[in-house]
Amino acid sequence: MSETLFEKIWNSHIVTEKENEPSLIYIDRHLIHEVTSPQAFNGLRIYKRNVRRPDLTIATVDHNIPTTDRSLPILDETSSIQIQTLETNCKDFGIKLFGKNSKNQGIVHVIGPQLGITLPGTTIVCGDSHTSTQGAFGAFAFGIGTSEVEHVLATQTLWLEKPKSFEIMVNGKRKNSFAITSKDIILSIIRQIGTDGGVGHVLEYRGEAIFDLSMEQRMTICNMSIEAGSRAGLIAPDEKTFDYLKNREFTPKNYDELVDDWNENLHTDSNTQFDKSFTINVDQIAPQVSWGTNPSMVCDVTQTIPFPEEFGNGVSNQIKSAEKALAYMDLKPGTPITEIQLDRVFIGSCTNSRIEDLIDAAEIVKGKKVSPNVRAMVVPGSQMVKYEAEKLGIDKIFIDANFEWRESGCSMCLGMNPDILKPGERCASTSNRNFEGRQGVGGRTHLVSPVMAASAAIAGHFVDVREWC
Amino acid sequence: MKGNVIKYERDNIDTDVIIPGPYLKIHDYIELSKHAMEGIDPDFHSRVNEGDFIVAGKNFGCGSSREHAPIALSTCGIKAVLAVSFARIFYRNSVDGAFLLPIEIDEKTYKSISNDDKLEINLERNEIVNLSNNAIYSMKPFSEIIGKIISAGGLFKYKK
Repeated sequence: MSETLFEKIWNSHIVTEKENEPSLIYIDRHLIHEVTSPQAFNGLRIYKRNVRRPDLTIATVDHNIPTTDRSLPILDETSSIQIQTLETNCKDFGIKLFGKNSKNQGIVHVIGPQLGITLPGTTIVCGDSHTSTQGAFGAFAFGIGTSEVEHVLATQTLWLEKPKSFEIMVNGKRKNSFAITSKDIILSIIRQIGTDGGVGHVLEYRGEAIFDLSMEQRMTICNMSIEAGSRAGLIAPDEKTFDYLKNREFTPKNYDELVDDWNENLHTDSNTQFDKSFTINVDQIAPQVSWGTNPSMVCDVTQTIPFPEEFGNGVSNQIKSAEKALAYMDLKPGTPITEIQLDRVFIGSCTNSRIEDLIDAAEIVKGKKVSPNVRAMVVPGSQMVKYEAEKLGIDKIFIDANFEWRESGCSMCLGMNPDILKPGERCASTSNRNFEGRQGVGGRTHLVSPVMAASAAIAGHFVDVREWC
Repeated sequence: MKGNVIKYERDNIDTDVIIPGPYLKIHDYIELSKHAMEGIDPDFHSRVNEGDFIVAGKNFGCGSSREHAPIALSTCGIKAVLAVSFARIFYRNSVDGAFLLPIEIDEKTYKSISNDDKLEINLERNEIVNLSNNAIYSMKPFSEIIGKIISAGGLFKYKK
């Protein structure tokens, strides 16, 4: 019987199943962080339970850790308590923690692949919706809530209803593969299938344009699968995947054997029917910029802010949503995207903070200066990314251009540490969510790729980055 | 189950507006609940009453996996959210901890219910009665397993 890649992973992880009931699924890797784990550990203590597989559980601090000098104490008391709580919990339950001063500290979805913890064919969970990032390696990786974190800590399993399969066929060749990034591809997809287009489904990205991407670019695609409402996003592993994971700190010793097995099994069989299918061609894709308050409210950099009627296509709820979004964003329909002036630029987050993102952004910035009206910052995704960037001298390029060069963490993606927008400030951000208040109360977020963010920082407004390279 | 409606005429109410990021550091549920819906409705906490229902459009609870979202609403007294559709992590989180009932209604029902209406929800009959105008609506029945988890009072109690 022919199967999708997802079905193969699912079937190999069923512990028990009954008709019309969710299946109990084995979890291979559990990543935890300071924000969604404290109540789960409390639950374990109350019921006197242990962590079943501390060896398969890995912790780091990322969400509220400051991105300033790590040798200084954390001034925000609640953040400091949450970080200390994770340290205590990891110590008490024997869990490996990449803490505040670890060379492996970083955004949980960035360090998983970097350390070789993320492996093809595995099931990976974390109390964070962007766990879908790791689907780029052919893993079934998804976000869970804190009750489920507790369930996985206690049992290493999870009850799940089997999601349906959704094929996203990405065809064609990008005209300018430096200026048109995987961020533009995924924003184009969400723009078309909508923020709930993937609900109840696992997306499998396929087609030549996907396999043309590097592993880091593929992670950006899978990262934003959740913004289309899907349970997870997947890409079948190939030689690029196997090369990326080779010789990482936690890469298994029998790696070559595993690669043989993955090569043979981890793909969707030919002629397999998906429950749903969508095709996009990347030949004509332009740099994308979000103008609204959810990640489907996106247009080409060459376009103007849409009129609500045009965006809503006659659907009253959609028209109202667009009106509310434009009021919040303080934007007028018909305004060219390139005339939008910016106050802040944020290059970072689990979507776009890896070394290739920083190399590309630095290429744009080199020898130029940030516009005097803009405050711009770069927050590497992990200490390893930061170290690598500094080795390449990229930090100097950013610093010379008047960017702030920060320590690693989630930072201004979700406004849990001091890196936030002031009310009314407008930001070009390489993150994943442009929700109201996400980057700070009253802050206005435009989602873009790293090269678009970098060029906007220099110009002080959005520019078509294709004209710069 | 009877309660008054707080209606939001919008789709895609995300978890960042249900409970903004900076408050995820608060572990005390009562303190947390003071900031529920603050992202789009700063007066929510002062006007919500024990037993109230939220009514909203499509894709309620999209975004982050924070369980703080159903916890904050439930601690304020919200017993059910009636929406045209739900983001799945929010749905699972609501049910897992038996914090509140995520009830799916159709578009017509969503449009017929007004802010401040008083509703009675009958889970056995999968029926919603609008006590303000005597209209009767149907709701999407919970699947058997979800029904069992809710009746048991959450995932852990159900599996025990």
